[in-house]
Amino acid sequence: MGIVSSLGLDQDTVWQNLIAGKTGIGTLTSIDTTECKVKIGAEVQEGVVEEQLKLLKRRPVDRTLDQSIVAARDALSQAGLYDSEAELESQDISVVFGTGAGVDHSLYNAFKLFEEKGPKGARPTTVPRCMHNAISAALSLQFKLTGTNYMVVSACTSASNAMGMAFRMIRDGYVDTVLTGGADAFFNPFYFGIWNNIPALSKIEDPLKACRPFAEDRDGTVLGEGAGVLIFESHEKALARGATILGEILGYGESSDAKHITSPDADGQVKAMRMALNDAGIRPEELSFINSHGTATKGNDSCESESIRTVLGEAVDHVPVSANKSYFGHSLGASGALESITSLLSLKHRTVPGNLNLENPDPVCNVNLIGPDPVSIKQGPVMKNSFGFGGGNGVLILGPPN
Amino acid sequence: MNDTSKEEELIAKLKIIIEGCATDPIDLSNFSTSTKVQEIGLDSLTILDMFYDIEQETGISIEQEELVDFRTVGDITTLLINKGA
Repeated sequence: MGIVSSLGLDQDTVWQNLIAGKTGIGTLTSIDTTECKVKIGAEVQEGVVEEQLKLLKRRPVDRTLDQSIVAARDALSQAGLYDSEAELESQDISVVFGTGAGVDHSLYNAFKLFEEKGPKGARPTTVPRCMHNAISAALSLQFKLTGTNYMVVSACTSASNAMGMAFRMIRDGYVDTVLTGGADAFFNPFYFGIWNNIPALSKIEDPLKACRPFAEDRDGTVLGEGAGVLIFESHEKALARGATILGEILGYGESSDAKHITSPDADGQVKAMRMALNDAGIRPEELSFINSHGTATKGNDSCESESIRTVLGEAVDHVPVSANKSYFGHSLGASGALESITSLLSLKHRTVPGNLNLENPDPVCNVNLIGPDPVSIKQGPVMKNSFGFGGGNGVLILGPPN
Repeated sequence: MNDTSKEEELIAKLKIIIEGCATDPIDLSNFSTSTKVQEIGLDSLTILDMFYDIEQETGISIEQEELVDFRTVGDITTLLINKGA
């Protein structure tokens, strides 16, 4: 697994910050927010990605793409599929990767040039720089991965959909190994600017308090950036090459609400969660916890709570529910990947980070919410929910190494 | 300025421009007029981007028909010197 986030660029640092209850949300520094209503977000620390790119003899190209490259290197390294000291050889690994906004910094720069100078202002490489699959193409080129490469684009569900697709490709026997996950890094004047006019963002000015999933006084989400990469491999191949197995993908479910472009719908969420549990062949009471989508918007958290109650039935009081967005912010197309990584770390440590800022749970969100402090969990699989604008739902069931 | 010093100046400029417009990893540690274009991974699209940057910086415009097969970096600098760089 590889992670680039506001909480750090390696799993140990991220985990320590989560357990310490430290948020990655702060006052934004990478863009000028003078004209913006919102001035906070969860940014990756300035310069750290660029330092890592130098080690790969790369220069920064696009913030989303760059973060993806660094997270992918770390994931491949941990999986024993990349050695910076050895000559790079082609490997039959596919790339199925998620993003919501894509290479939005490249797009923003291209639009600016076009607006200023017309068609003559367009760089000849604008198309390959700005296409959504620039990220999966770069991952394939950088690490010589010769399986398929493409992107899954479904807003906040992108990474979970990509991972679900990767899981099915392996289970159905089409491929052995897939580099998957997702990335989004949209702190540029245009993309952050347009998010400012969506009432989904928190108006609380204190960065430490602004993102409050499932709290009665929550008032919206906070945006974050990052990249999460996971290497999915068939059990047989992983065993055969002696790879360290970090977890197992047990099931996947997906659905579309087909009700509203932005408002979530419990029927669609329930359908995806049930599909994932059935796919994994487990009963709700077997779950060790649920890592929710938990955006801290009024609409999501109440709807998701209703969906969880419906799916869990009598088990609802026994399955803890957590949310990670008070730490990472909402990293849109990366969120499913970042939160799957933390889910697997939770299974490893048998501990779930606390729900930061959940001092006063909303009575409407009547599920077994974890408090602000970390809790121990029983051995067992975790359900990772992701829901997105557009009505897409993607749910993964992740288990500890078998 | 004689042709040699012009060429050296152009080489330095080209190096910066190519580093700026390459989208894939590129090694320019031994960059000179004899460097083969193919060896440093300069594909046709990157060459177009490079001329775009040159035009933005110097005002020298390269027409489509002048975009021949550039074998070496020297071929590029010769064209630019002939265009008045």
